[in-house]
This record gives sequence, C-alpha cells and structure tokens, in this order.
Amino acid sequence: MLGITDPAIWFAYVLAIGLTLACILYGLLNWNIGLDDSHGS
Amino acid sequence: MIVMAVDTLTFALVTVVYLLMVICLGYLGYRKTRGHDDYMVAGRKIHPVVLALSYGATFISTSAIIGFGGAAAQLGMGLMWLTVLCIGVGVLIAFVIFGKRTRRIGQRVSAVTFPDLIGKCYGSPFLQTFTGILIVVGMPLYTAAILIGGAQFITSTLQIPYDTALLAFAAVVALYVVIGGLIAVMYTDALQGAIMLVGMTALLVLTYTLLGGVINAHAALDALSGQVPSALAAAGMTGWASMPELGSPIWYTLITTLVLGVGIGVLAQPQLAVRFMTVKDSRALNRAVLVGGPFILMMTGVAFTVGPLTNVYFYQTEGVIALQAATNGNIDTIIPNYINTAMPDLFVIVFMLALLAAAMSTLSSLFHTMGTSLGYDIWRHTRREKPSMRTIQLATIAMIVVSVLLAYVMPGSIIARATAMFMGLGAAAFLPAYVQALFSERPSLRAAKYSMVTGAVVWFVWTAFIHVKESAVLGLAELLFGAESLLPMPWPVIDPLVIALPLSAAALGVGWLVDRNLAPAPGSTDAS
Repeated sequence: MLGITDPAIWFAYVLAIGLTLACILYGLLNWNIGLDDSHGS
Repeated sequence: MIVMAVDTLTFALVTVVYLLMVICLGYLGYRKTRGHDDYMVAGRKIHPVVLALSYGATFISTSAIIGFGGAAAQLGMGLMWLTVLCIGVGVLIAFVIFGKRTRRIGQRVSAVTFPDLIGKCYGSPFLQTFTGILIVVGMPLYTAAILIGGAQFITSTLQIPYDTALLAFAAVVALYVVIGGLIAVMYTDALQGAIMLVGMTALLVLTYTLLGGVINAHAALDALSGQVPSALAAAGMTGWASMPELGSPIWYTLITTLVLGVGIGVLAQPQLAVRFMTVKDSRALNRAVLVGGPFILMMTGVAFTVGPLTNVYFYQTEGVIALQAATNGNIDTIIPNYINTAMPDLFVIVFMLALLAAAMSTLSSLFHTMGTSLGYDIWRHTRREKPSMRTIQLATIAMIVVSVLLAYVMPGSIIARATAMFMGLGAAAFLPAYVQALFSERPSLRAAKYSMVTGAVVWFVWTAFIHVKESAVLGLAELLFGAESLLPMPWPVIDPLVIALPLSAAALGVGWLVDRNLAPAPGSTDAS
C-alpha cells in the first residue's frame, strides 16, 4: 500500500491515522458534553 | 553535534523575537498567578487547545524528534508502532479514561500535584513523599539530558561557548517557570507546540516533494533493503520499510524499549498527569482530544516517516545510507544533517526554532514538576507545614541547579536513553498504584506501597545489572560482578519496564489480597 509492501508497517500507518481520526471524531461528538461536572463528584 | 547551514545572524534575530514572545507569555503567567492553585495547577481553568498543545509539547522533546527520528533512520518504519501507542494510549486512553478521572478526583480532593493526588487518594503522607522523592531523584537525569541536547544545539547554531549556552538556556526557562508557575509554562508550551507543528508539517511535505511523491519515496525505501549493513542484518533487521525479524535483538529493542517503554510509560508521567487537573470540566478534555491526536501524529509520525526516508535521500545523492551519512556514526546527527543538506534555508531556520521550542517546552514542565515535588510534596511532610509559594519557588530553583550540575557530569552515552528510562521508571513505580487510585472504590494503601516499592526497586536492579545499554554505562554490574549484564540473551535487550511493570502490578495484587485477608470488613482502606 502506497509503496510499502510489509503489512506490519502499513497496518501501523492505518492504525495511527485511524486513531487520529477517532480523536477528531471523539472531540467533535463530545464537544459540549461534560460541562456539568466542573465541581467534581 | 548539530551544525547549522544558514546564516547565524538571521537565526539569532528570529530566536530573539521568539524569546521575547516567550518572556511576554511568562510575564502574563506571572500576572495571572495569585496563589497555590494558580502556580501548581494553572487555576484549573486552562483552555482546551492550550492543554492539548501543552501536553503534546511536553511529551515530545527535542530528543523525541532528533533522537527517535535518528533511531527510525537506523531501524526503519517499525517505529510507527510507537506513534500508534502514542495516539491510542498517550491521547485517547490518557485523556478519555485517565484524564477525566484524574481531573474529577483531583478537584474533589483539592490535589495540586501528581504526588499530592496519589497521597490524598490513599490518605497517605508516605505515598505522597515517596512519589515526590522518586520524581526528585529520577527526573533530574531526564532533565539533564534535555538540557544537554538544548545546549549542544544552541552552541552549534548560535556559535557561542557550550557553558554559556547551557547556563543561558537553563536561565531563560527557569525565569518564566519560577515566576509564572504552571500558567506561564502552559502558555509558552502552546506557542512552542504551534511552532513545532509548523516545522514538522513543512518537513513532511518538503521530504515527499523532494523524493518524487509518497509512493515513489516509499517504493525507493522498500528497494533499499539490500543495503542494510551486515551487522544490523545479523541482528534481525530486514529493511527500512519492513519490521525486523520476530524475536531478534533489534525486534526486542524496537518493541520493548522504544514502543512499549515510551508508549505505555506515557500514562504515568507526573508532568503530564498534572495537566489533566488544569481544566475546569470534562468538556475541556473532550475538546483537547481533537487537537491532541493530530498533534501527536504530526510529531511522532513525521519523525518516524522522514527518519527512514533520509536513507533514500542520502543514497540517491551520496550513494550511502543514513547511518553512513551520520557524523561520527552518531544517529542523533542524521535528521539535522538531512535538514541542512536537503532543505531550503528558510526551512532550516523554522525547523531549528521548532527544535528549540521542543526542548524548552519539555524542560519547563520538568523544572515545574521537580520544583513542586520538592517544595510542596516533600516539604509539607518533612517540615509538617504547608509551604509558601516562596518555598516552592526556591525549591524549583534548587532542582534547576541540581539538573544543571548533573548536565555537566552525566556521561554522554546515557543521554539518548534518558527519555525511555524515565518513562520506564514512571510506569513501573506509579502506573499500577495510579490506576488503583483512579478506578477503585476503596483503594488499598498496602497494595499501593507494595507496588510502588517493587516497581522502583525492580526497575533499578534491571537497569543497573541486566539491561546492557544502561548497565554497561552505569558500570555497577561490571564493578561488582565483572560482567556488563548478569543474564544471557535475550534478557539484556529486554527493557526494564517489561519486567518491572508486570511485577509492580503483581505486587499490587498481592498487597490487595493480604489486605483483604487481614481486614475483610468494609471501609478499611489504610493497612499501614
């Protein structure tokens, strides 16, 4: 994939980029969640 | 040694402008600091973007870019597994699972440092003091390594004597850390993180452009596998775009030290964990994840991609691989040599500024963590009084002086190991007890004590007597037993963390079982 033949390497790239997208998605989906716990519980 | 290829005066002017901005942000931190909470946890009201950039810039030091980038140039793209762990563990798990609980519990018990959090969760002054002592003893090694790297870089770029560079570097960072506390540290971290982001993005784009595009660059790297030096091939290396042979010495080094050592160690770093307590609610942590993930990808992912690709550049232009293009065989010079020869002058300045920013952001956080550990956590239980802000500031200055002195005497050969070493010690000593403190309804103090002491002792023994990369340099094993390592292969290449962390976790389990048998009645948390 993209010139890399060893699956163990390109899988690392797929996972790294996938996890980054998961971070972005998580931030967007939870953008306004967690506002009410500012005093601890 | 990093040698600059651009005009020293131009870089000096850019550096002066950058330092003025840093000092302004430091002053802003000073103006906003009115008490302990401001000085130690930034008033618990830091903006999510500042948190994300500060966390990332603290995590990623110059050695992560230069040292690990050089390691990737030598060992190949297998280091991308470290990027996977840095994002998956260092951002997603750290912020979403550890961060939210750390913030909530930290606010509930009014914790202002990592040792304070541990001590209050277990109701144990001993654990607070012990955690503080481990930080004060272990962290100066890591700090001195960052200082040396930064001073070497300033010496070569600005053409000033090494001693002057070391003292000036420490003094500038000390100034804003001591007067402005964590607010100053995090504001300057955010600026430095932004500069690092610009530098690494440009590095990636320019490298692929230079090598004829993504696919051409990767294919050329794949085709270089026949050029792997025989010594590395014998140790298991198969190429720069492929993993080393499973179970070979290089595979163990790559996976246990570089990938697991740093990738898991990140969870229990006091200087990172304290940042979760600087925001006012979980919403800020959710928002910080959005920035933190891409930031870490652009730092580590770019270093571990461009590092191996320097082999293609040096092979096409000079007919040698990156290791042969390194000055005196030192892999730390591969990335700077590549930047100097392959990149346009303007980018050399941007990248050098990014390196200075990376060193300063990590250094400031380490200074702050060591200072608060000594001046607050250790002081309050040894002197039995709550320290004043002046005491904490003086303790910070004391730890800075210790780090600078250590930077003068530390052997050069241990520097590259220092990041992974402190990450390993942090994980082995703190992680199981930290996890129990966050996730257990009734955390067992006995279990935490067993775990912390076991983790720290096993980590030290393995580092000093078994793991040959450290034991050979420290010399204790040679002095006492006449051998660099006391065990046969593959143990000398297995990182201390891989041994110490499971034993630390097992000790936690044993302590918990003992506690349960001795005091089965509910409500008993202190077994000391």
